[in-house]
Amino acid sequence: MPSSDSEDFESADEGQSPDKKERKHRLSSSNYSENSLENNLEHKKTPNSANTLEKPEENTNEPTDGWDDFDIDENESIEPEPRLEVKSKTNKETVKKESTKSEDTGWDKFDDWDQDVNTSSTKIENDPPVPSKQPEPDIKEVTDRLAAASTKSSGWGWGWGVDSLLSTATAGITTLTTQVSQGLTTVLETGIGAPDPEELARRNLRDTEATPSKSDDVVTSDSGKEETDVPRSTSETAFPFGSLLSGVTKFVETTGTKVISGGLDTLETIGKKTMEVLQDGDPGLAKKRAMLGLDPGDKPVLSQVLREAKAKAEEEDRIREEKREAKEVHYENLFDDFEGLVHLEALEMLSRQVTMRLDERIQAAAPEKRQDIKETLQQVAELCEMPEEDDDDEETPAKDMSKADAFHERLQTATQDLGLKLQFQPLIKQYNDILTWLDTSDADLTQKAVYKRSVSGLAQATALSVELYHKTAEMLLVKTRRSTADEADALTQMTVALTKHIGDLATLFTEKLNSIPTDNKEQNNTYITNIFLEAGNSSTYIQNAFQLALPILQIGAV
Amino acid sequence: MVDPIFDYQFRLILIGDSTVGKSSLLKYFTDGKFAELSDPTVGVDFFARIIEVQDGTRIKLQLWDTAGQERFRSITKSYYRNSVGALLVYDVCNRSSFEHIPLWMMEAKRHIEPHRPVFALVGCKVDLVGDNKNTTRREVSCEEARMFAEENGLHHVETSAKSGLNVEEAFVLVAQEVYNRIQTGEYKVEDGWDGIKTGFNRPNGMDFNLLEAETVQSTCC
Repeated sequence: MPSSDSEDFESADEGQSPDKKERKHRLSSSNYSENSLENNLEHKKTPNSANTLEKPEENTNEPTDGWDDFDIDENESIEPEPRLEVKSKTNKETVKKESTKSEDTGWDKFDDWDQDVNTSSTKIENDPPVPSKQPEPDIKEVTDRLAAASTKSSGWGWGWGVDSLLSTATAGITTLTTQVSQGLTTVLETGIGAPDPEELARRNLRDTEATPSKSDDVVTSDSGKEETDVPRSTSETAFPFGSLLSGVTKFVETTGTKVISGGLDTLETIGKKTMEVLQDGDPGLAKKRAMLGLDPGDKPVLSQVLREAKAKAEEEDRIREEKREAKEVHYENLFDDFEGLVHLEALEMLSRQVTMRLDERIQAAAPEKRQDIKETLQQVAELCEMPEEDDDDEETPAKDMSKADAFHERLQTATQDLGLKLQFQPLIKQYNDILTWLDTSDADLTQKAVYKRSVSGLAQATALSVELYHKTAEMLLVKTRRSTADEADALTQMTVALTKHIGDLATLFTEKLNSIPTDNKEQNNTYITNIFLEAGNSSTYIQNAFQLALPILQIGAV
Repeated sequence: MVDPIFDYQFRLILIGDSTVGKSSLLKYFTDGKFAELSDPTVGVDFFARIIEVQDGTRIKLQLWDTAGQERFRSITKSYYRNSVGALLVYDVCNRSSFEHIPLWMMEAKRHIEPHRPVFALVGCKVDLVGDNKNTTRREVSCEEARMFAEENGLHHVETSAKSGLNVEEAFVLVAQEVYNRIQTGEYKVEDGWDGIKTGFNRPNGMDFNLLEAETVQSTCC
């Protein structure tokens, strides 16, 4: 968009005379679609729309406003022509109608608010004397810019507040300016002695009819003045100007003064008020400038957008990673991941169903037998009570036997009377893995790593144990010949072996933790407490599983 | 261990005659491996894998691999209840396994009631068809199976756990259908029914009261 290409409308406008800039400004704030060809056409038609008060900075602002994107309305760009012709008529309604019409066709993409704003801002500019003679160019600039920006804002999802504020402000100003413009036109005319051509024509007609003979001397003096001041009126010197002065004077005397003084005051007040409202809580309009992207430094740059997107993505990844991390040391989740929970649930299903069958059997039995059945069930339950934990600190396993093998042997011994082929390999393998990990883990192992491994290890061992109960229960249910007492004893022994295994694991891990030199003793203690907590948790799961298997043992006895 | 982040968990159950290849299908699906020999399933085994449905929602499939053996029938039927989907598995080279499908389906419908699961008809061992060495022959034609599937409103797919053909598709098919039914409101997450559960990713009901969580910004609320 910078002014490199002379075919671009921006560049076509940029290096040119101020009047062209002004027109460009008008056009750009009305429909923002021009090309150089149309521009030139405009130029020919109204070669002298001399508005030199247009500030250069406005033109420099134009390209940064981002309006160059809006060359969608190509059919539109012709429409300013009627407006330019209309502008000199002081008939407010005509102006309004014209501009509204052209806006409607061009801006149907935007919502009503923007249309309003835009229309009114256009109206301001459609009254040529006002911008040129406006006492406070700042107001115009601001409203202009805001109006333009608020139109732009529709694309950026602005809220109502600013839009409605601006539209109200601009609408108010518009009403006033259109009213005042009449007077101002007169001021202008008297000041430089150059009335608008059409006005002139009309007045001339009127005046010649009324006083046809008066005027020759006045015309010469007046026309000479005109030629020096405003070249465009040269063609109009042919008209008799004598009547003009009186008409103008009369007009000024009757209405002009009042309207001008009142109008200018009101304009000033409104301008001040608008600035006040705009600056309310936003000194120097810093925020609004930032929001509107008027300051070049605040404009979003692609690289920055990308950087922000990247940062956002990284943040999301981090959160995700944290969740994963949190889950990694979350015992229940790990237990679930190792299928412990689902085995427990399946075992529970079996247990519930078998309990119902037991109840059915009791109900179906003869009344005198019911008591016997209940007693039998009670006996089985007693067999399954966990022995006191005094355990004779047991046969220390043979020296040449690894811990895992000793554990395996203990399990096999415990369950040999069960009469089932149980799969202990997963448990043994897991134990071996942990032992290997503890032995070989390198020196810079962190406490946290040990802690994580311990929670995961405990959860897995527990899950495998629960699976063992589940499988045992399933196999017992399909077993043809039952020996409840043996089974109960075997399962009790198995439970003892498994809970002891959990305790061993916890001890191994805490020993490992303690072996790591640390300056954070407190953290270490918390970890150790947690490990024993989870170990207790594990034992509870295992004993629950055992209790869930109880009805399956009981049903074999009745 | 599976990736912990998922949005939903669906429980699917695999049923069908013994030796049709349920466990092999699952092993391939979760491990990408095919085991030439495997022990018959005892009761039920569990597999899990996370997949993504079309809109990218992550679904953890919890797969219940039931024993096909007759002796476990009384046990396996207790496991149906909490399933949201059922894969009816038969062996394309075993006529009777296909003929038992209506029985399996009735059984599943009866035990899953009042819920109405998504069913899929899955033919296994298509790799054996046309393998001249084995003298195995297709005993169930694809058309026949498809016709049965259409009559009963099932999805049908023929798979091979050896080559991996359509294994993924079979499960994704069911998961997508379950997910679609969630979207239409036909299925809901219900208390006391574990067919569909919300996952770890969901904001509800996960508080990490672990030490680690304290240093971590609580992102779940």
